[in-house]
Amino acid sequence: MGAYNWDFLIVFQNLDVLAKGLLLTFKIAASSLVTGLIIGLVLGGMRLSKKKLLSFPAAVFVEIFRNTPALVQIMWFFYALPILLNLQVSPFMAAFLSLTMNNAAFSAEIYKAGINSIEKGQWEAGKALGMNFLKLMQRVILPQAIKRTIPAFTNRSVELTRMTSLASTIAYGELMYQGRLLSEYLYRPIEIFTTVALIYFIILYTGTIFSGLLEKRLSRSD
Amino acid sequence: MDYKWDFLIVLKNIDPLISGLYGTLLLSSVSLILGLITGLILALLRLSKFKPVNVFALYFIEIFRCTPPLVQLYWIFYALPILINISLGPFESAIIALSLGSGAYFAEIFRGGIVSIARGQWEAGKSLGMSYFTLMLRIILPQAIKRMLPAFVNRAVELVKTTPLVAVIGYSDLLYQTVLLSQRSYRSLEYFTFAALIYFVILSIGTTLSQYFENKFNN
Repeated sequence: MGAYNWDFLIVFQNLDVLAKGLLLTFKIAASSLVTGLIIGLVLGGMRLSKKKLLSFPAAVFVEIFRNTPALVQIMWFFYALPILLNLQVSPFMAAFLSLTMNNAAFSAEIYKAGINSIEKGQWEAGKALGMNFLKLMQRVILPQAIKRTIPAFTNRSVELTRMTSLASTIAYGELMYQGRLLSEYLYRPIEIFTTVALIYFIILYTGTIFSGLLEKRLSRSD
Repeated sequence: MDYKWDFLIVLKNIDPLISGLYGTLLLSSVSLILGLITGLILALLRLSKFKPVNVFALYFIEIFRCTPPLVQLYWIFYALPILINISLGPFESAIIALSLGSGAYFAEIFRGGIVSIARGQWEAGKSLGMSYFTLMLRIILPQAIKRMLPAFVNRAVELVKTTPLVAVIGYSDLLYQTVLLSQRSYRSLEYFTFAALIYFVILSIGTTLSQYFENKFNN
């Protein structure tokens, strides 16, 4: 086994390429996180509705996105959707749409579980005070439900950030994509993929630790 | 604007898709078995009172849980062979990446399950003169595994969801064949929708199974 000569200097010389990728990783992660959380709330509300016309389509949407691989979703939005709609879909748009929908589907289930976890008495008390559904949701149910579901949501954002690397397969220029380009260009896959893995590790590990701390803190204040 | 769907073309080219599906199922089952073995070993190492072993297992698990599976796959396919001077084909790389990746998650499930068994069971086994391994095999694991079943099935579903990544290193799974066919025929819409449907059927079965176990053990 010949000893391999590590050369991390070459990675440092090209750090700006990886930094550019990292920026796009944050961009896709943040945009699909925020949009997904909003759509997820709507979907979660629809799932809880007693009207079949609302709850059924939401359930179908959630099941489709939870039971297909994220990579297949991304590729579907990139290769299939443009044909269906007869318009151009950029790598960013395809990645953004699929990650948003995926995130919305998983978030809907978290919202649903959170809202279900609030005792019936709270609903009744709100109604007795003459609050309508939206007011009650906004002032009584959601503030409590959100607190209970924060750890699940921080986990979700870690998962989502992990998933953004899939966007490299449709040539969106995030961290993984830049890493692949660099490694092909410099013939230094070991150093480059190790660096890329390390960057992801730092981000995701920080997220995991943060999520754990938050969980402890919130359970103490309950 | 009116697109004419033609699913007949999918049926005409069903052979490569079936061989791709076979690749997906083969890869899933082999990595599931190896992942479970890896997970059990890692869990036992994590539970060890010998600090260096414990810390090694902890970091091994964290590294795999806190990096994207795609990065793991590229690292094992492109970097590992140079580093230790061996050659790894797409299948071997995929097996290694998916087994280690799922093993890291299985380890935490095993650990949780083992820890959840009451102390009295350990003491009873020890007082009967059982060795650590006999005790683990006959008393602890059979009880723990029942409790862990829903989590295991969930994880297996996650594993199958991760398998399409191997298409990017050229392993012939369902997604790989789908990409090839759709490039050849400009019928991406039909091919990708079909592939999504197949994955949906497989994964829904898994999700339903997991819910069934969960309800069964909750009662």
